[in-house]
Amino acid sequence: MTTIEKPTYTIIGTRPIRPDGVEKVTGKAQYGADIRLPGMIFGRVLRSPHAHARIRSIDTSAAESFPGVLAVLTHADFPVAADRVEELGETAVNLKELSENILAAGKALYRGHAIAAVAAANPHVAEEALKLIKVDYELLPPVTDVRDAMREDAPLLNENRYTKELGGAKSDKPSNIASHVQFQSGDIAAAFADADHVVEREFTTKMVHQGYIEPQNSTASWNSDGTLVIWTSTQGAFSVRAQLSEILKMPVARIKVVPMEIGGGFGGKLPIYLDPVAALLSKKSGHPVKVVMNRTEVFEGTGPTSGTYIKLKAAEKGGKLTAIEATLAYEAGAYPGSSVGAGAMCMLSPYNIENFKIDGYDVVVNKPKTAAYRAPGAPASAFATESVLDELAKAAKIDPLQFRLQNSAHEGTRMVTGVPFPRIGHEEVVEAALNSAHYRSPIEGPYRGRGVASGFWFNAGMQSSVVVSVNTDGTVNLTEGSTDIGGTRASLAMQLGETLGIPYDTIKPTVVDTDSIGHNDVTGGSRTTFASGMAVYEAGMDVQREMLKRASKLLNAPETDLVYEHGGVHVVSDPAKKMSFKEIAAQSARTGGPINGKGSVLARGAGAAYGTHIVDVEVDPDTGKVTILRYTAVQDVGTAIHPAYVEGQIQGGAVQGIGWALNEEYYYDDTGRMANSSFLDYRMPTTLDVPLIDTILVEVPNPGHPYGVRGVGEVPIVPPLAAVANAIADATGHRFTDLPISPRRVVEELHGLG
Amino acid sequence: MVSVWVPALLRSLCGGAARLEVEGGTLGDVLRALDLRCPGLYDRVVEGGRVRPELAVAINGEVLSLALHEPLAPGTELTLVPAIGGG
Repeated sequence: MTTIEKPTYTIIGTRPIRPDGVEKVTGKAQYGADIRLPGMIFGRVLRSPHAHARIRSIDTSAAESFPGVLAVLTHADFPVAADRVEELGETAVNLKELSENILAAGKALYRGHAIAAVAAANPHVAEEALKLIKVDYELLPPVTDVRDAMREDAPLLNENRYTKELGGAKSDKPSNIASHVQFQSGDIAAAFADADHVVEREFTTKMVHQGYIEPQNSTASWNSDGTLVIWTSTQGAFSVRAQLSEILKMPVARIKVVPMEIGGGFGGKLPIYLDPVAALLSKKSGHPVKVVMNRTEVFEGTGPTSGTYIKLKAAEKGGKLTAIEATLAYEAGAYPGSSVGAGAMCMLSPYNIENFKIDGYDVVVNKPKTAAYRAPGAPASAFATESVLDELAKAAKIDPLQFRLQNSAHEGTRMVTGVPFPRIGHEEVVEAALNSAHYRSPIEGPYRGRGVASGFWFNAGMQSSVVVSVNTDGTVNLTEGSTDIGGTRASLAMQLGETLGIPYDTIKPTVVDTDSIGHNDVTGGSRTTFASGMAVYEAGMDVQREMLKRASKLLNAPETDLVYEHGGVHVVSDPAKKMSFKEIAAQSARTGGPINGKGSVLARGAGAAYGTHIVDVEVDPDTGKVTILRYTAVQDVGTAIHPAYVEGQIQGGAVQGIGWALNEEYYYDDTGRMANSSFLDYRMPTTLDVPLIDTILVEVPNPGHPYGVRGVGEVPIVPPLAAVANAIADATGHRFTDLPISPRRVVEELHGLG
Repeated sequence: MVSVWVPALLRSLCGGAARLEVEGGTLGDVLRALDLRCPGLYDRVVEGGRVRPELAVAINGEVLSLALHEPLAPGTELTLVPAIGGG
């Protein structure tokens, strides 16, 4: 671990046992599928078998009269949604499109698009009843490739969609290009004309899924008093509540969302799919209703990340990166909202470059509406940038890491938006990579090669609320509302322990429902340890202030003569007079009542994250198999609150990126059917496919946080795509610009069979 | 004065300028003042009395969710950027 300017901490930086560990390994942790309620029935969803079709009619009469069926639902049961954009959770959402993605209205826009739902006494009856629903489809030609969808003669998903530019300008004609963003500075023409070397390439990446283990699920109980309770697997209970409120046109306070333990999300559990369906099935049937997706439904009916096409031209002069011109086209899926804007904003952020022009296009296609996936948008654009940088470094005869270092962004460098960076750690990360044992080791042998790449992610702040309740035995309950995906119960309890100077194991953190805590934005954008940690710090300071008041009475000393330090209070003028946290807590009933602290923040000062990865590969020229021999991920983590969790986040992100680089893809046939919608055929890496991912934690504390926290969960998925491609280029002499670099593609390329 | 970085797609409204200095005590005042120099810009940025949900405002380098009445100190640097979501 490389540490820079870090204070000494007692709890932060240690590796205590996770609070949820025992329940999870003993099978007692409650996930959404574990919910059992009196009178509960089961819902199933009918999905479109066609990628693009007009829905002429839906006849549900036979299903409704089927024995055991208690409710049938179509989009006609939804209140009419407004065609307007709202901020719900982390991102802006068009309410009409959100509603129509949950149950199709008028058109089925992708295979797997939900059409209708049935609730019955058991899931088998519900499944049988689905077969009785008659949907009259008018088949339309599908378009599933982003470049095909951009053609003027492409089939239109929505005849009323026009291309928006920043702030609402529209195109003259309807188009599948939903929006266009642009970033521009300097004089690229002059820089290209004056360059020593110019490289121009086209890249493609395929749609890939987050691959979380737990499928989406929702259980709803619509009560006779008009209130609604939802038990669900989500990255943001308050976002679910806000979306339900808009779609069902219910007051927010009448909806309670209970976040269950979550079996992975990675951004894919930010949108809602089943919650309104379960809610209205419950309302119609008068029973609690549970709906759980199977794996095929997860692949075909939830949001993966975009397939992309990127064209990039870059120039170098005297070892300096002088110009970039890029065009990015990202598949949004059936409705607008790909991460092309973020991809465009991230792609140059590791570097200091004066001349650039980047155009980004958000394009609808007949595939599932895309969702966030770990640093959404950044991996594909980094694949393009970091591949071309590697070629420029080689052309300039400069070590690829040295090339990155001498072109690195630093404090004051402006992003492509014009926003200047505060203190960032890319230079430190690249230096740590240059000095690593891995990079200093030789890589030898035929068809073996080494690749490197850097990546950037913004990280977010947003809103968090926590409450700290001090018990009379000196233990503490930490009540929070942020879904714990990657260890935030531990990281928040550790920050509270550090703030109060009390042992970690005296703090019990609990994630509660939306009725039981103030608003919390989603667990996304790598924000929870940062922003909820800031709320925890505020709550801890609130408790400290109350402890001083109580100690003033107990020690018979004015507050101005007291100091809170090392888990207790002492009199400054007479240090022998002191009380511990536990002793003051024990007297709370006699000094003013319960001691509670609260923290409510709109967190500012989120610090950006950088990672640089090194990978060694061996390529089998006969089978096309790429073996990862060694992998090291270096990352600026701000302050590693719980280093084991940080390492786990980095290792997980790296492995997902390796899968994206080598194997994973939504494989479509000509009719728009995903041909590999199971984990048997959708090839994610297993422990047998990767070595132990070594991590180097560089700690450049974020000045915007009391403990220097930066988000760590997203940026590790950004560098692997390019790092692996660069290593394969080093091993084979062949530059692969289309992902995945599957065995078939390798064999075709190496043997000229393409 | 507040220094404003104009997004590339709005520069045509501003005679091609990428950076402008305008007076204004609040975010709304600054955008109104900018509209005088870049006719039509206000409506491209503001809808229904707030910054469009698909946009965000960066103040002195930090992207924030701000209301139009947010006070801005003289010397502030303001940048309009697309809103971002994370996973």
